[in-house]
Amino acid sequence: MSDAPLIQLDDVTKVFVTGAIRYEVLKDISIEVRRGEYIALIGASGSGKSTLLNILGCLDVPTSGHYRLEGEEISAKSDTEMAHIRNRFFGFVFQSFNLLGRYTVAENVALPMVYHGLGRRERLDKAKALLTRVGLGEFTGHYPSELSGGMQQRVAIARALANNPAVLFADEPTGNLDSKTGTEIISLFEQLNAEGTTLVVVTHDARVAQHARRVLTLADGRMLTDKQNSIAELTGA
Amino acid sequence: MNPFEHLRIAFDALLANKIRAFLTMLGVIIGVASVIMLVAIGEGAQTYIRKELMGIGTNLLIIVPGKTETTGMGRMPSGIQKITIADLRALEKRATLLNGLSAVVVSNAPVKYQNRLRNVQIIGTDQNFEQVRNLHAEIGSFISKADVDAQRRVAVIGRTVRKELFGEANPLGRTVKIGETKFRVIGIMESKGVTLGMDIDDHVFIPVETAQEIFDQDGLTNILTQAINENTIERAKDQIKAIMMQRHAGEEDFTIISQQAMLSTMQTILTTFTYVLGGIASISLLVGGIGIMNIMLVSVRERTREIGLRKAIGASQRDILLQFVIESVTLSVIGGIIGILFGAGVAYGAKAAFPVLPVDVSAWSVALAFTFAFFVGAFFGIYPAMKAARLNPIEALRYE
Repeated sequence: MSDAPLIQLDDVTKVFVTGAIRYEVLKDISIEVRRGEYIALIGASGSGKSTLLNILGCLDVPTSGHYRLEGEEISAKSDTEMAHIRNRFFGFVFQSFNLLGRYTVAENVALPMVYHGLGRRERLDKAKALLTRVGLGEFTGHYPSELSGGMQQRVAIARALANNPAVLFADEPTGNLDSKTGTEIISLFEQLNAEGTTLVVVTHDARVAQHARRVLTLADGRMLTDKQNSIAELTGA
Repeated sequence: MNPFEHLRIAFDALLANKIRAFLTMLGVIIGVASVIMLVAIGEGAQTYIRKELMGIGTNLLIIVPGKTETTGMGRMPSGIQKITIADLRALEKRATLLNGLSAVVVSNAPVKYQNRLRNVQIIGTDQNFEQVRNLHAEIGSFISKADVDAQRRVAVIGRTVRKELFGEANPLGRTVKIGETKFRVIGIMESKGVTLGMDIDDHVFIPVETAQEIFDQDGLTNILTQAINENTIERAKDQIKAIMMQRHAGEEDFTIISQQAMLSTMQTILTTFTYVLGGIASISLLVGGIGIMNIMLVSVRERTREIGLRKAIGASQRDILLQFVIESVTLSVIGGIIGILFGAGVAYGAKAAFPVLPVDVSAWSVALAFTFAFFVGAFFGIYPAMKAARLNPIEALRYE
């Protein structure tokens, strides 16, 4: 069990069909994600990196190929089982923070715990602890609209961590932020990875890619390169 | 996930948009309130008519000339042999299952006292009327057998007639003119108010043969009688029929109306009436349901990203479906409760304002309206909720 990769994709393809046109978005992708990794997925627009992230995060299913989570094939799971997997194993951070305006910051963070079946008090206590962890302990009672973009993204990260996920997926997390707040998010990711969180980040941002331990480059739906950043590069950057 | 959480999510969503939630509910409120009100009015009318008909005596039988197929109060007036006092005498002699017989002649005539005049329904009858119809003289006395036999010109007047013609003066012993004939007032009837749209107090009673004479009639308008008890009504009717047919050359040219038959006819009419009213009101409830569906569809579209997000963080299709169905059911049920309170309030308000109208909010109409509201919410909520549940999370998250 400890030897099996957290996620293993074998020969995964993804085809979208729109009317008469077939788009082969992913072609024979095989990758492994191991515990504690910090992976950056880069590539030009349309290279298929977001689709790959969605498949890794069980938001989407491959057209063909195998997906094993902790060694278990999941391609034939029901909607409810997939929802369960997303809830327990994964956390998501989006480019636009996707916080719900009618809930307080703490309630937003607690949202995944609602679907985990935790009671309200327990949820809010945990949410407060998570917000403290991302440096927003004092803002639990505020509404998202009262916070800056960088703070909102941190709330979103706290929400993604709500159920102690095995992997945190982020799709262009710094895309809507200025460079200073982007840097804050990058160092938060560093910190989380150092604390043991597995990260998979889709990004255009060179700085994010520099901080990742492993960089996967996609082009036209194929894996172009898969390289480990050396320690030298990391510290040198 | 426990259903209480779904309820909380629904409430949060509705509270975030209070005015919209209220306006959506308004359709259901109006629908439910009108069901409650209209059924209350229908049932009230039923209770009223039942009470009125019971008031004329449970075992009452009315023999009218002419054969009508339908039970009830309709009758065909002409072309048939009349019912006469001789018929009444025969029934008196031979029928064993009857308790009292009273002849009735009805006509309209102006009644005049000094310079006051009033058009009144004149009822010519006999001494048995008091017992058979359960109507009594309160002051003075009613028409006696002697008055009838001697064709005396005496009159017993109703309350309204007394008030209109005499004011505060004592009418006993005074002379009134009915048409051109002078009558002496010998009694005043007890007050019975309006029964079945007829003001019982607006009548003048005179001896039956006197009435036949002054109105130049040899037949009777009807014969009133009573069966000995409830169980003998049918047999009493058969007996009347047999005796009457023998006297009318084997022709059944008369109709025997029982209070029971009137009651059941009225009941049927009014029950239908109540259902029709309830049905019309239900249509507005249906319109309310369509309003809910409309707003839920808008809401699903507006919250596409929320739905995408909820799915990403672990909501299953079932969770999303429940979230939206519970939201629409919450709308319709709260609307239903407000509608019930509002409808009952108006119904009882009407009762307080017009005590004649015995409106009553029945438990079944409340239960029906509430259940209907619940299912309207569930039915009209399910399609938008299914749309929400089936959204692809990736597309939903990208939705602008």
